[in-house]
Amino acid sequence: MSPAEAEQHQRFLRTLTAHEPAVRAYVRRLVPSRADADDIMQEVAIVLWDKFGEFKEGAEFRPWAFSIARFKVLSWLRDKGRDRLVLSEEVVDLIAEETAQDDTRLERQRRALESCTQKLEPDQRHLLMQAYQPAASIQSIATTSGRTVAGFYQWLHRIRRLLQDCVQRELAKEEPS
Amino acid sequence: MNFDDLANRYLDGQASAEEVRQLEEFLLAQSSSRRLFADLANLDSALAEQAAGWEPQSLTLPVKPMRTTTARTWLAAAAALTVLLTGTWWWQSATQVHATVARGIGINAFPQGMEIHGKHYSIQAGTVEFITALGAHVVIEAPASFQFESAQRLHMKHGRVAADVPPSAKGFTVITPTGKAVDLGTKFGVDVPQQGQAEIHVFQGEVIAQSAKGGKRQSLRDGQAYSLQSGAGASREIRSAAFIQPDETQSLQAALSSGQRSQSDAAIAALRKDEALIALLDFEDENLPPGTFRMTQGRWPGTRAPEFVNVGDHMKLNAGAEHAWPQLTLAAWVRLDRLESPYQSLYHTDGWDEDKRGQVHWIIKDDATMRLALKRNTLPPDSGEKDGFPDSLTPVLPKNGRWVHVAVTYDADARRIRFYLNGLFDKESLQATAHPALLGPAQIGNWNSKDRKLSGRVDELILLGRTMTDAEIRALFDAGNPYH
Repeated sequence: MSPAEAEQHQRFLRTLTAHEPAVRAYVRRLVPSRADADDIMQEVAIVLWDKFGEFKEGAEFRPWAFSIARFKVLSWLRDKGRDRLVLSEEVVDLIAEETAQDDTRLERQRRALESCTQKLEPDQRHLLMQAYQPAASIQSIATTSGRTVAGFYQWLHRIRRLLQDCVQRELAKEEPS
Repeated sequence: MNFDDLANRYLDGQASAEEVRQLEEFLLAQSSSRRLFADLANLDSALAEQAAGWEPQSLTLPVKPMRTTTARTWLAAAAALTVLLTGTWWWQSATQVHATVARGIGINAFPQGMEIHGKHYSIQAGTVEFITALGAHVVIEAPASFQFESAQRLHMKHGRVAADVPPSAKGFTVITPTGKAVDLGTKFGVDVPQQGQAEIHVFQGEVIAQSAKGGKRQSLRDGQAYSLQSGAGASREIRSAAFIQPDETQSLQAALSSGQRSQSDAAIAALRKDEALIALLDFEDENLPPGTFRMTQGRWPGTRAPEFVNVGDHMKLNAGAEHAWPQLTLAAWVRLDRLESPYQSLYHTDGWDEDKRGQVHWIIKDDATMRLALKRNTLPPDSGEKDGFPDSLTPVLPKNGRWVHVAVTYDADARRIRFYLNGLFDKESLQATAHPALLGPAQIGNWNSKDRKLSGRVDELILLGRTMTDAEIRALFDAGNPYH
């Protein structure tokens, strides 16, 4: 790698690192599962690097990354949508369009979540983090926590609601009163 | 069902087709629903991100602060971009322990107990066994270039990996440049050559294979193999011998640390001085014999051995053409897969002509026994041989491909053939007519007249113009044995 390439590479990595959670969350709301989002993210990252030369320093990285991600999601939906339960392209388009504008709010939510998970009971947090490990087996996590699979998902919904309430409260604190 | 439940069920992959349809109606109807839905998906994504950086035991050491050199280390590694970029939050993953080293064989950079983070590694020699944080045993053989993105995701830029995945690590995934393999709890191997397509081999259980570019998911079961081509894959023959298996590493390491390597070198050096030596191929010098084959690691870390994979692969050897040999010993270390074809060539002189009395064909048959056929030699009328040729007794291929030592001696004057497996005498077969052995132009791993391809690796092949005694063959095996 030439020094110039290395510098380009480094700049790219820094930029991607800063925006990756946002792009990943963007992809996540358009596809059925986190694993799907991970797969698409891989492809998105490669395209971002391939086209990074065309990207102007100082321009907005995020909208540019979103547009590439959106393109990848739509081709993924056309490819996989036949044998998976996916939302229709019409709905996906609407969500993509509207929430791209909404990113600031969503980012603040993501930041606030950190302190909210800290507030959970340690064993609740442990269970939640287990359930969110890549390729976690909900079946075995449910069993070890003494719940049925359906019961475990119910618990998961409840915890998410708690966290969402907490996030709203955290963000309300930031609002100028 | 209310909107909130529908959205949760969909995001958890629990929703039925009907529920997904209902959710769509909500989402189409109101922008406020879409906003709530985005909030929930956003939470889901952020939780996954936290989980990726989460330390399972609260007892583990505090996470080391990121050193500023990390970015530079990444860059210095100049790893393939895919490896750098596809890491799920590789930034955090750089500080998390994804796996620990169970043993490094012939590789000092991986001491036992070493913790593996999200760093990218390239190894030139040796074999390393890792145990992931979720208990999968993963063996990577050099030359290889790889990175653990998490305990469940291993990126292989090139190299060979065999994994033994217990239920706790179900879903362990190997990602290659041309596709990925998701294990559903079993034993499998992935071969990622420097050039060309990755191959997935399933030894036991089930693996989902998926090519990188729009490939369909393909379920593979016991004994199936699949090459990951862009867009589509193709079935391959299973090659279990191509992979160092987790159940093999311990005895490989024990042999190495007990000094086997120097014994082996000493035995080879002594053979080179043997006046009767016709050829000794250990494949260590740069001038390899001509042919079509891949070079892989031999029995010892950093050594080399040819591997025959595709139809037509072979290696040419022209030795011992100066005269016929009344006494002969053939021996080799091999790591082979059983194939369906009736004959696989260990050593075949070219052709099979009436006027070439005594020309030699050393074969592994489809029942995995050996055969030594010499042109126009005959069996005595009372011979116990069922197939018209001298055959060995014990199958030479273990269930999983491992290194085995095969040998045969021939004495034309005594009209005697003796087979050996792993240093032990296996069977003797007598001839009625016995011509001195005719060598010369020959192929290893195939035959020039018809396909008799061997599948696997050959190491330390010896042609010797005298008959070794039982004790000598035993000593040859003992000295060269990579297991302990």
